[in-house]
Amino acid sequence: MKEINNNVYQKELFDRLKKSIGLKKEQECIGCLLKPAAWWIVEAANPKIGDIEKTVSNICPYHKKHAIGKNKSCVRVLFKVIKKAQETKLIAKFDCVEGLHGFVYPIMQGDNLYGYIGTCYRKKDVPAEVINIFSAFTDTIVRETQKELELSKLYETIRPRAIALSTVHTVHRLISSTLDLNELLPRIARLSLQILRANRCSIKLIDSKRKTLLPKSTIDLRTKKVRLKKVRVGKYAPGKAVKFGRPIRGRDFLAVPLIDEDVIGVITIYDKIDKKPFSSFDQEIMSTMAEQAVIAIKNAQLYKEQEKLTIGSIKSLAKVLDTRAPGTYVPRASFLKIALAIGQEMRLDTESIKSLEYAAILHDAGEIVIPYEVLTKPSKLTGKEYAIVKEHPMAGVELIKHMKALKSVTPIILYHHENYDGTGYPKGLKKDQIPIGARIMAVVSAFEAMITKRPYRIIKNIDEAVDEIKRNSGTQFDPSVVVTFIAIINRKDIRQALEKELYG
Amino acid sequence: MDKLLKSSIHLKIIKFFHENQASIDTPRGVATWVGEDKTKVRKALEDLVSAKVLVAHRATSTTGYSYTRDENTIAKIEKYLKMNR
Repeated sequence: MKEINNNVYQKELFDRLKKSIGLKKEQECIGCLLKPAAWWIVEAANPKIGDIEKTVSNICPYHKKHAIGKNKSCVRVLFKVIKKAQETKLIAKFDCVEGLHGFVYPIMQGDNLYGYIGTCYRKKDVPAEVINIFSAFTDTIVRETQKELELSKLYETIRPRAIALSTVHTVHRLISSTLDLNELLPRIARLSLQILRANRCSIKLIDSKRKTLLPKSTIDLRTKKVRLKKVRVGKYAPGKAVKFGRPIRGRDFLAVPLIDEDVIGVITIYDKIDKKPFSSFDQEIMSTMAEQAVIAIKNAQLYKEQEKLTIGSIKSLAKVLDTRAPGTYVPRASFLKIALAIGQEMRLDTESIKSLEYAAILHDAGEIVIPYEVLTKPSKLTGKEYAIVKEHPMAGVELIKHMKALKSVTPIILYHHENYDGTGYPKGLKKDQIPIGARIMAVVSAFEAMITKRPYRIIKNIDEAVDEIKRNSGTQFDPSVVVTFIAIINRKDIRQALEKELYG
Repeated sequence: MDKLLKSSIHLKIIKFFHENQASIDTPRGVATWVGEDKTKVRKALEDLVSAKVLVAHRATSTTGYSYTRDENTIAKIEKYLKMNR
């Protein structure tokens, strides 16, 4: 193997030397001093007589004129002087059968000898000064060429690894940028297919009993229809990868377990586009990918757990509040749906929609500061009582301010009683000064208050409430929100859910 | 695509992805590999996505670009690169 590498190195070195501008210039310069002279290169440390014969036939102008015997003598002279240079590792001079002069320079790197460069066909003996100049020049050129070759080899070795590392880094960034498992798993599958240039990828996560692998995302780039199959741990490649905690590789598949503290699932890739078998390099790349994927999946799972905990706490809080005025604080699913649908239709980002969901549950939580008699008073409120009511958005903010997960919800709660024309409370903000979430919540909460039971108001039906919202568009409500709200409320699914919840 | 192959920066990017078909990289990464300005590379990458030579993997923090999987496009590029080597 070492010999093959050495031969490859030798070939590349000579290829570069022959193309070297430095060597050409040197031959021109030294050539002026040695005129007339012929140059040759022998690309072997230990050349055979045949190699020398070939060299001589290429450069010696007498070769074709010579009788075969004379040619052989010439070749023997050159062979002998090369052997001398090989042994001494120094420049060796010679006289050929025509009485012409020349010399041989051994090309070395450290102790390694790679070949020879030489000249002949000079009528006079070569002066020692010229040989010294030639030696110094050639040493420099050979050293430069060797350095260039080594740098190029280093570049060839490092560049693909650097590109692979950059790919790994990009993949890491792409999969760490989402905490939504429904988005994350297909993304991991697609990126895996791209990196391995394969056709199908399936990600399975282990069930709570740790007996079955549940399919979570399968992408087959050849077909839109994919079968999601459960696999028992220990069965087939994915099951075995999970059972043994190591990659299982076959000609057309590669299953890599997702290991955190324990195995949480498996990524299986099938069928390379070029139909080649999966290699150990593919396995190495996929193992790195799996290491990153498992961190992203665990983060997403933890985030989901955290989210459930937050929404659970909010719902519990709403239930506690609801005990004061039953039916007031526990939101109906259809109102949540309306708020979220408006947010989506108005192209709010995921975080803002989530805030809207939390706010839909908690927007009136601050009413806890309102005395029970005021809260349930069926008649018109006095000025003092109304002043107390106007404090509830701020009280709501106070109530949730220690819950960091709800930080983005506070502007919605604080400003959902602001009016579009600036006549609302607590700050009298108008138009775009009011956060969009609060403008949406103003419409939804007003609609909810009109069609559900409130001590101070006669219930309206859906159409009456919608008309009321329309009438107040541009004054109490943001007209763009009202337009979206009407479109949403006219959707068959929303209407049906609302009617079912309100009237059974 | 023929028009894009005539642009030096687009051609450099195509060559990079053709030679490294498993690569997924950001505009900054690609700019490093092809030795061009990041802003110009970002625009060229989007042109190549429109021409279906590249695939964009968009996320909130960044966009990763990778080579097409379409065999006809790859064959066409291969032929072009061979002819212009």
